This record gives sequence, structure tokens and C-alpha cells, in this order.
Amino acid sequence: MVLLVFFAISIIISSLIFLLRKKTVNLILTSLFVATQIGLSAYSFIHKGETDSAYFTFDAIGIILSMVLSLLSITTLYHSILYLNRHTSGIKNECIYFASLVMLISSMTGAYFANHLAVMWVCIEATTLFVALLIFHERSKVALEAAWKYLYVSSIGVTIAFMGLLFLSAISNAHGIKSLDMKQLAIIAKDMNPIYLKITFLLVLVGFSAKMGIVPLHTVTVDAHTAAPFPVSAFISTTLMNVGFLGIFRLFTIVAHTGIINWTNALLIIVGTLSIAMSAIQLLRIKHFKRMFAFSSLEHMGIIAVALSLGKPGYYAAILHIVFHSFVKAGLFYQIGQVYNFFKSYWISDTGNYFKINPVGGLVIILGFISITAMPPSGLFISEFLVFKALFALKHYALACFILFLFTIIIYVFGKHIFFLLYSNPPENKNFETIKINRFETISQFVLFGLVIYLGFNPPVFFTDLIKSAISF
Amino acid sequence: MILTAAILILISGLIFPGIIGKVKAKIVGRKGPGFFQPVYDIVRLFRKGSVYSTTTSYIFRLSPLIYFATIFTALFFLPFFNQKGVFSFEGDFVVFAYLFALGRFMMIIAALDTGSGFEGMGANREALFSMIVEPAFFILMGSLALITDHISFYELFVNLHFGSNLSVLVTLIGTYLLIQIAMVENSRVPVDDPKTHLELTMIHEVMILDYSGFDLALIQLANLFKFSIYGALIANFVLPATMPFYLLVLGFLAVEIVFAVIVGLLESFRARNKMNKNPQWIISLSAIAVLVFIAVLILIERM
Amino acid sequence: MVSLLIVLYGLTLIYFALSERVNNYVVLLGIQGVLLFTIAFYNLRDINIVGLIFILLETIVVKTFLIPYFLNRVRRHNNLKRVQEHSIPVFYSVLIIVLLLVTGFVLGNQLEVKSIQSKFFSISIASLLSGLFFVIIHKNVFSHLVGYLIIENGMFLLSLAVGNEMPVLVSLAIMIDIFIGILVIGIFLNKVGDVFQSTNIDELSQLKN
Repeated sequence: MVLLVFFAISIIISSLIFLLRKKTVNLILTSLFVATQIGLSAYSFIHKGETDSAYFTFDAIGIILSMVLSLLSITTLYHSILYLNRHTSGIKNECIYFASLVMLISSMTGAYFANHLAVMWVCIEATTLFVALLIFHERSKVALEAAWKYLYVSSIGVTIAFMGLLFLSAISNAHGIKSLDMKQLAIIAKDMNPIYLKITFLLVLVGFSAKMGIVPLHTVTVDAHTAAPFPVSAFISTTLMNVGFLGIFRLFTIVAHTGIINWTNALLIIVGTLSIAMSAIQLLRIKHFKRMFAFSSLEHMGIIAVALSLGKPGYYAAILHIVFHSFVKAGLFYQIGQVYNFFKSYWISDTGNYFKINPVGGLVIILGFISITAMPPSGLFISEFLVFKALFALKHYALACFILFLFTIIIYVFGKHIFFLLYSNPPENKNFETIKINRFETISQFVLFGLVIYLGFNPPVFFTDLIKSAISF
Repeated sequence: MILTAAILILISGLIFPGIIGKVKAKIVGRKGPGFFQPVYDIVRLFRKGSVYSTTTSYIFRLSPLIYFATIFTALFFLPFFNQKGVFSFEGDFVVFAYLFALGRFMMIIAALDTGSGFEGMGANREALFSMIVEPAFFILMGSLALITDHISFYELFVNLHFGSNLSVLVTLIGTYLLIQIAMVENSRVPVDDPKTHLELTMIHEVMILDYSGFDLALIQLANLFKFSIYGALIANFVLPATMPFYLLVLGFLAVEIVFAVIVGLLESFRARNKMNKNPQWIISLSAIAVLVFIAVLILIERM
Repeated sequence: MVSLLIVLYGLTLIYFALSERVNNYVVLLGIQGVLLFTIAFYNLRDINIVGLIFILLETIVVKTFLIPYFLNRVRRHNNLKRVQEHSIPVFYSVLIIVLLLVTGFVLGNQLEVKSIQSKFFSISIASLLSGLFFVIIHKNVFSHLVGYLIIENGMFLLSLAVGNEMPVLVSLAIMIDIFIGILVIGIFLNKVGDVFQSTNIDELSQLKN
């Protein structure tokens, strides 16, 4: 019941936002909605394990990701307000922006909590539409191209995933189960013919790779994150990729105790390593900040895929990594938005001397650089350390060294460009005194990075308990 | 009678081009030449002498004979519903197809022998198109062989029964394919227009530009029989073998005449393909033949 | 009867490779809609009558009429040329499509699932591969959309195979149809044509470095 009420509230709020073209109404209603979402996360945590509305269950992984979503919704809302104040584009576009944001948050919540594969698939399909509307916000040629490509390839990916689900339902029918409920599927998965399970997993992996942003359908997520407005980029390169991860994770839990687990692990390692390699190769030619961060997301999703294939210690590392990556990436994107405010461009060559201009922002960038490249004290260091520990424990020495080598390349590229941004000679003919620095803009990034450090080194008990129950399948 | 098929094919071959010509003329509103005009032309040509170019060798004189001989021999392979052809053995349809290929090969090298650029061009095209259409014929015959589990013409056609819906589709598509293969083999529209005498666009006609008299008569006679051989193939395919003898004879002649009328209609209402579109049109026949093969596999429940 | 319709569907896939005019694509999509309607009619006898009527109506209305109508409107709005350019000659694309069809049937033959006849799976995989191939060889956004609709028809066929036990999946497949048909074709494609003044995808490459 609770989730249905939540969906009804979101539809009402987004329609109201769209129909009443007033700025203050937008802000009030969206804040109200974000508060509702936070309330839902808290409710789900209190009622952990319960089933709601017959198709949704408040299971541990859903609760974790929903809490991440709540925190990031607050920061996205704040930075969206700042962004829209700086780039005015008419009240109608703003209304579409907020309405799509509200619907996107609600469909992602639905996808997190769904326990029926078809319902999860519908929610994921719904997110495609709203993300396309958000990407298209600036109405420029580049934005249109990114939105069109995103809509198209994402639809193809989701169609392929649907074929996988159809196949799964066909073979489960042969065993007598007439629905796609995940618990029942997990029970009978041991009896199914391995070839069918392999085909299903392959189709679902390829299909949802468009959402998660790993090879083979990673290209559109990279383009989308480059062309979207920066709060939207921050939002979709974190929470939306989590939705893609969840789709693959659900199917992974179904096949985890069957005979094909070795094949699945091999497939995930191949996909993960290819993603990291693609990211490293592409990053060598990068000239645009947001694109750099988008490829960094590709790399981290690759690490998560590799982590998922490493057994129990890997699962823990994967979930840690996905939570930390969401926070760090969002912080980076928010700060890059502030950089844009000064230099009016995201191209690397147009920037420079940022540390002098905005010392606090420069500090955030340095913290972000340390965090995203997984240097201690960042929490990402903990999760990557666990991944490599598991890799060495399973005797994948060559693979671990190869991935470390790729990481070195990525750290080099990141360092080169970040330090260019911070310390190189300033671009000519730019006058920075007239641009006002918003004092409170960097608070969110400090909070996010601090949270990552805290959760990495001294995680609270409820956090680790949630993760442990998420990986107990 | 064992020679029924051969005699009927010979007879229908003689009136075939007459019917085509009449149909084409009637559609455009003319009276057209008589039914037996092509036969009269051939008889006239037999009485004339030949002129040979000095650049040609014995191959040029030899090939019309071999061409005619192969077509005439191929005649005797065809069964007449429930009677074997004169030559009937396992795998005879392969020999049948390659007899045709032998005749075509001799014509091609004779055309190259003349040393003329135009004939070389025609030989080139003829070789390409016949290569592309060959898979279509073999895949179709192969599919029929799969259904009936035999590999000679006579056994194949005797055991062909059609029951379910899918086999109706196989019959229809098979007939369509055979008609189109016949059009390609005989160089009719849409692959080649026999009426055009622009050298740059001819395919078959240009190969026989230099022939005259007796040789030309042989070639034209062989062309007639090629058509009626394909008509006999279609008749065997379409009509069931369980009817009484005189009905079968009438049915055979009827199928030949209808085939001729269809060819005439197709020639009147279609334009010739652009030359560089011909390969893709012909390969589509092979693609459709593969589909027939898949349909047959579904039919016999191997799928 | 269903086998006959599946073979005819395979025939339309071959004709997609063969035809060059944009109008032919739209006509072929309509024919595929009619074939899917007939297959749905024969396959879904066991579900309740209301669901069956809904599915049949949707197939006929959306797949056979609405989507071709929208496509025609988009074609006229963007002034597409009559003949679409290919990256590879038609000769080779026909050969490749036949190869994909055979691959689909070979793959489908390896499986023996009791509740799907393997024919459905084979033609569905063949349709998916042909649609992807179609997207790869064409350079126009309109043709990309036609390729996506081919993939989607293949997916709909697969959903019909399991539709008897779970009609909700067929309805989901239909929802995608409506969603893509009305939203994507009706709105976005025209916008792309307007903003870029052409629908060639060479224009859509500003996002590279």
C-alpha cells in the first residue's frame, strides 16, 4: 500500500508541477516530494523484509540504494535550483525538468524495491523516458543528439533484456511456476537446464548494460552524461547506474546457486575488464571534463562487475563500491558545475588556475581527485582493496596486475587534467571578479566526501548489517 | 509409352514462342505474327548457308552443335508424371542441370572466340548470372528431395504429396521460383530483353550475333526447347500423378500454354532491371529458395 | 498454420534487405503487423476473451495502421529521399540476412523447451539479429527506427510463444510498442529532422572528442 500511495503522490505532484507554471510552486512541491522519498526510505528501513503491494519487498539491497537515492535527491534538488537560476530557460522548460525529476525518482524507487522481474523491468523502462526528457533540457543540438541516442539505444537494450525475461518465464513455465517472482525463481533455478539459464543471463546482461553503463552498450551513457545539465549528470551517473546494476544483480542472485555460476563469473570478469580497458583507452584522448567523469563511471562499473564475480568477499566489495562511487561521483559533478560557472566551458583547455580563483572549490577538487582514484583515506580505497584481495585469493594474478596497470593509466590522466585545472596558467581575457562565489555551494560536496571517508573507515553497524543481509543469498 | 514426355515437350516447344509473341502483341493492341512463325523462321534458316568470320576457330563451329545436343539430351531426362524419362537414375537432376551448364559453357567460349568486345561482355554477364541462379535451382531440388527421400526426378515427382498448409506454401513458392529461374535461364525480362538490340544492354542475344544459317537455326531451336523443358518441370511439380492418362496429357499441354501466357504477360508488364541491379535480383531467388528449404525442414519435423 | 505464418515472416525479413525504397519499409512493417495479428489469433486461444480481444485489437491497430501512418508522416515531414543509401551493396546484405535467418534456425534447433516451440525462438532471434544488422548498414535515423521496429516485432513474437500462460508479458510488449510508436516516432524524430535539417547520422557526431 505504501508504495502505491507513493507512486500516486509522485504522479499528482509531477502533474501539478507541469500544469501550474509557477516557480515557487515548483520548489515547494519538489521539496515536498523529496521529503516524502526520505520518509519512504526511513519507513522501508524500519519495515525491513516486509512485502508491500504484492509486487514490492523492502529487501536490504533496495533499502541501501534507496537511502543513497534520498541523499542524492536532496543535493540534486539544491544544485538544480542553483543551475536553473544561472541558466534561465523559460518556465515551461523548468516545469518539465522538475516534473521529469520527480517521476524519475519515483520510478527508480519502484525499480529498487520490486520483487517481480516484470515490474522491475517496467520501472526501468519508465526511467528511460524521463531521463531522455532531462537530457534534452538545454535544447541544444548536442543535447538533442545525446537524448535521441540515449532513447534509442536504451530502448534496444531494454528490449533485449525483455527477451531474456520472456525466455526465463518460458523455461520457468516448464517447471510449473507461472510468475516471475524472484524468490520462487531462485528456488527452482537449480533444476533448470543450464543452457537456458546461460542464454537468459547473457540477454539480460547485454540488455541492462545500457543502463548500468558497462560494455557492450556503454556508449550512450557516456554521451548522455556529457550532454546533460550537471545536476542531471550527477544524478544519472550514480543512481541510474545503480538501477542497471540492480537489474543484473537480481538475475545474478537467481543463478548464484546453480551450476552455471562459474560461467557467469567468467562472463562478468570479461565484461568488467573490458569496461576498465575501454575507459583507460578512451581517457587517453579526453579533452572534456564531463566526458572524463563519464568514462570514470564506466571504469568503476567495470570494477563492480569484476567484484561481483569473485564470490562472497567480492559481493561485499561490490555493494560498498557502488555506494561510495555514487557519493563521490555526484560530488565531482557538482563541483564541475561550479567550475563551469567561472570558465563558461567544460573543455579542459579553457580552464586553469582554479585554485587561485576559488580556493574552497579547488580544495573540493583535490579531495574529489583523491577519492575517485581510490587513494586512502577514501572509502573507495577500502572497496578496491577488498576486490584485489579477493582477486589474489582466487589466484587471478595476471588479471589483477593488468587491472592495476589500467588503473595507473587512469590515475595519470586524471591527475594530469585535474592539476591543469587547478594550477596551470589562467586563460586570457577572462575576468573573474564579477562572478560571485556561492558560499554554501561546496557544503554538499564536503558532506558527500566526508561521508565516504567515514563509511569507509568506521562504518556504523546498521550499514554493515544491511550489506551483509543484502549479500546473503 | 516411354517417349510421351519427349514427344509432348517437342510439340509444345514448337508453339511456345508463337504463343508468347501473340500474347505480347494482343496486349498492345496489334495482331501479331502467326503461331507458327518462329517455326517457319527456323525452317528458313536451315536452308541457308553460313558465313564464318576469319577470327574464329573450330570452337565457333562446334558450339552450336554441342549446345543443341545438350538441350536435346536433357529433354529425355524428364519424367511424365508416373512414367520414367528415357534416362532415369539416382542424381539425374544434377546431370540435368550440368548438361545445361555444358551447353552454356560452349556458347560462352564461342562468344569469346570471336574476339569481339560486345560478345565478350555478354559472355561475362551470362556467366555471372547463371552462377548466381544455380544455387536457387539446387536448393529447390534439394528441398523436394528432402521431402520425398529420393533423388531422381521420377521418384521425386511421383512421391510428392501435399497435405498441410505449409506444403501449399512450398508449392506456390516453388512454382514461382521455377518460373523465375526459367526467365533467368532463357534470358527474358527482367534479366534481359530479347527484343533489344542495343549491344551494350544485351546478354544472350549478343553472344549469338555472329551466327548465321544452320548454326543460328540450331541455337534458336535449342532456345525453344529450353522453355518447354522448364514448362514440363513445372507441370510435373504442380499436377498430381493420379489422374488418368488422357487428362494428364491435356493437363501437361494446358500447363505449357499457361506458362507461355504468363511469360508473355510478365514480359509485357515489366521493365527490364537496371544492369547493376540484376545480381541482387537474382540472388533474391536463391534467398527465397533457402526459405523454402527451411520450410521443408519444418514440414518434415526436423526442426 | 503457425509454421506457415512464421515462414512468411521470414520472407518479409528477406525483403527488408532487398528493398531500397523507404515506402517499401513501411509497407513491409504493415505486412508484419498483419502476420503477427494472425499468429496471435492462433496462439492465444487459452486466455480469457477480453485479454485476447485487447491484444488482437492492439496488434492490428498499432502495428498495422498507426505505426505505418506515423512513419509516413515523418517521411513526408523530413522530405526523405525515395531511395535510402546503403553502406554495403544490396547483394551482400541479402546474403547476410539469409545467413542470419539460418543462424537463428540453427540456434533455435539446439533448444528443446517444452513450452516454447523452438520455431518461435528461432525466428525471434533471427529477427533480432536482422534488425541489428539493418541498423548497422543504414545511415539514416529513419531507417534506424525501422530497424528498431523489426527487433520489436521479433520480441513480440517471442512473447506470443509464452503468452498462453502469462498474458501480462504480451501486454507489456504491447506497451513498449505504443510507447515507442507514439512518443519516439511522433515527437523525437521530427525534432531531429528539424534541428539538424537532415536525418543522416553523419550529422549526429558532434559528441565525439
